[in-house]
Amino acid sequence: MFKSLGLVVDGTFNSGLIVRLNPGVSLEQLRIGNFVVVDGQHNRYFSLISDMQLKATDPRMLSDPPRQASPFVAHTLAGTSTYATVEVKPMLMLEKVDETDADALLAEGTGPQPVRTIPMHFAELREATELDFATVFGQEGGSNFAMGMPLAMDLPICLNLDRFVERSNGIFGQSGTGKSFLARLVISGVIKTRVAVNLIFDMHDEYSFDKQTEDGHFVKGFKQLFGSQVLVYTLDEQMARRPGRNADVTLKIGLNQIEEADIVLLSEQLNLRPTAEATIGLLHDVYHDRWLLKLLEMTQEELDEFCRASGAHPASMASLQRNLKRLPRQDYVLPEASFSTLDDMVEALDRGKHVILQFGRHNSVLDYVLVSNLVTRRVRHRYEEKMRRYEETQKVGQEPRPLMITIEEAHKFLNPAVAGQTTFGTIAREMRKYNVTLLVIDQRPSGIDDEVMSQLGTRVAGKITEERDIEAVLTGVSNRSALRGALASLDTRQQILIMGHAVPMPIVMRTRTYDQEFYRAMGARPNTAASAEADISDLFGD
Amino acid sequence: MSRIGEIIETMSTGFVAESFELNRPPALGSLVVVRLPDEAGARATEVDLYAVVTYGRTAGIDPSRRAVRRSTDEVFDQAIYRQNPELERTLRTEFCAALVGFASGGQMYQHLPSQLPPLHFSVHHPTAQEVQRFTNRLQYLRLLAPPYAAPAAASGAGQVPPLQVVAANVRWVYKARGRDEEWLKAAAREIATLLKSDHEALLTVLYAIEPVHATDAVEES
Repeated sequence: MFKSLGLVVDGTFNSGLIVRLNPGVSLEQLRIGNFVVVDGQHNRYFSLISDMQLKATDPRMLSDPPRQASPFVAHTLAGTSTYATVEVKPMLMLEKVDETDADALLAEGTGPQPVRTIPMHFAELREATELDFATVFGQEGGSNFAMGMPLAMDLPICLNLDRFVERSNGIFGQSGTGKSFLARLVISGVIKTRVAVNLIFDMHDEYSFDKQTEDGHFVKGFKQLFGSQVLVYTLDEQMARRPGRNADVTLKIGLNQIEEADIVLLSEQLNLRPTAEATIGLLHDVYHDRWLLKLLEMTQEELDEFCRASGAHPASMASLQRNLKRLPRQDYVLPEASFSTLDDMVEALDRGKHVILQFGRHNSVLDYVLVSNLVTRRVRHRYEEKMRRYEETQKVGQEPRPLMITIEEAHKFLNPAVAGQTTFGTIAREMRKYNVTLLVIDQRPSGIDDEVMSQLGTRVAGKITEERDIEAVLTGVSNRSALRGALASLDTRQQILIMGHAVPMPIVMRTRTYDQEFYRAMGARPNTAASAEADISDLFGD
Repeated sequence: MSRIGEIIETMSTGFVAESFELNRPPALGSLVVVRLPDEAGARATEVDLYAVVTYGRTAGIDPSRRAVRRSTDEVFDQAIYRQNPELERTLRTEFCAALVGFASGGQMYQHLPSQLPPLHFSVHHPTAQEVQRFTNRLQYLRLLAPPYAAPAAASGAGQVPPLQVVAANVRWVYKARGRDEEWLKAAAREIATLLKSDHEALLTVLYAIEPVHATDAVEES
């Protein structure tokens, strides 16, 4: 049986309903963002609590509150003379059918609809039941992946992963709110349900193998959970040789693969002047793909020669050369490299493998931005080709698998200054045209370009208190006022707000725990690592 | 003997009755009943009219003559009555009661009856079951609480503040129902609803019906 909370006494369609709480219902039992149901005469309204207010029937009481009132007096006043109202924002509505027939209720063809009206006076507000949750969020199974549970109930709330991978998505939260843990959860779901393949740029080496969490225990990485379905690429040769947690492929970057856009993205890290872009342009005109190689090899005379010939400014040429000399010093950068490793990677993705790119010791922002952007550009390029081919032939088997690219510190690629130039910016804006989407992980969403933010399909947010970040996360979301309070009031751990394309309505939930039970649900077998290695040697030879 | 008085003045909102016992009118706020059998008036069925005692007083029969002091150093208090048996004849105790509902055909109604109680009919104590049944619903409090209460039914001198009548009634019913905490809480809430726009009035009643007071206070039944 459900618990009645109060009656609708006021409200507007635009700003929501005002509900007076029943005596005996304390505000402290409720939370901003709670999922509640308003029972209208013809519809059920699935709603969120967006605001709370204390009221008194006689304003004089507030100027002279009963100070030493006995429990009896206090108990009588509570809920009668002094009472509380909550503001409730209907999100979805469902036409009422025979409530005694649970099957008919779930099987209903139409399902919850967007809200088009509001209930009349004295409609009852009540706590949501399991049936309500199931009606709105569906049941586990298929591409429905249980992300967590309601705050006060033990039943799964599902994310529709088919819809999830249709758009680029974001995971946001202050540091310490478990963003990478959330990412691990979502990506596990995507791997398990096979709705897409993943390419993960793993800046801090936390996704492939065991990782100690902040509260001290070890959690499994994807390699251990999903075995040979996951390939680990690394920039760091030492990583590749560790027993038991070795990477599958070591990735090298050639100077010939680095493009103008990569360098511009690194302006800050490389201390480049604003003129650098123009200078690189001139170099590129002459030497094409080999411009960086050539520039780094130039002697002083050759530099002067080039400046005379092209009209480049000698000082900026010299400083550009000086600054870019940092690049070949990185271990993973070779003078020249072919794209074959990257192309193999794309093929592996297309076979349904998931790829994690580890940075190992090379985890500075410079390495991360340079390599991620370069790799992504190549991957997207190949996907574009594949997609074109598929569009020409229209053979079902040739459609490239949907790819989800996970990037951390996303504002480095997607801030307003560079979002127009990076491949990530392009992917985020063009959505799933080429079956490639992003999973953006960031703690400062306000640093991400508005245009990119508004294109995000589903947002998963942990606690955020900074006003600008809250604004940013809610860019392009309807009913922002209702969600603002919910975002700021989440617990630091294990509580998230999910909104957008993959859930029917925004919802606050406790996240699923990432533990033995979860591993079992993901189908992890004992000795996964051993069998994974066997699989890999089968696939790649030695 | 459940008869406690006889109606000597009657109105649509209540009546004044003379108590059979000198100086012992029914308790302030207590529920009393006037029983009208079938044949009384034009009524088709038996009707019980319920009223709440709102006022009581004892005075001389002759309103023009005020009572005089009768005590001496040796004879005072109860002894005065033993020494002056005529006082039982020259003094009288009367009480006022406000109608709060009636029972008819097995149903309880908590609004004013269409007919006033007939003059000279008896006023009774209700049975415990009647009290229980009648007070199961709390709408009758609306007939007592200001500003909805009818003007006092008393003829003549002053009256008890309606808030105190409400409080007295709640205290009395609470005891009559065997210290029913749930009922008391419900009644307190009902009163809080009635007095929602007057905080001080509400607190006046609440302080007066708090159970701690009820146990400490010496109350006549």
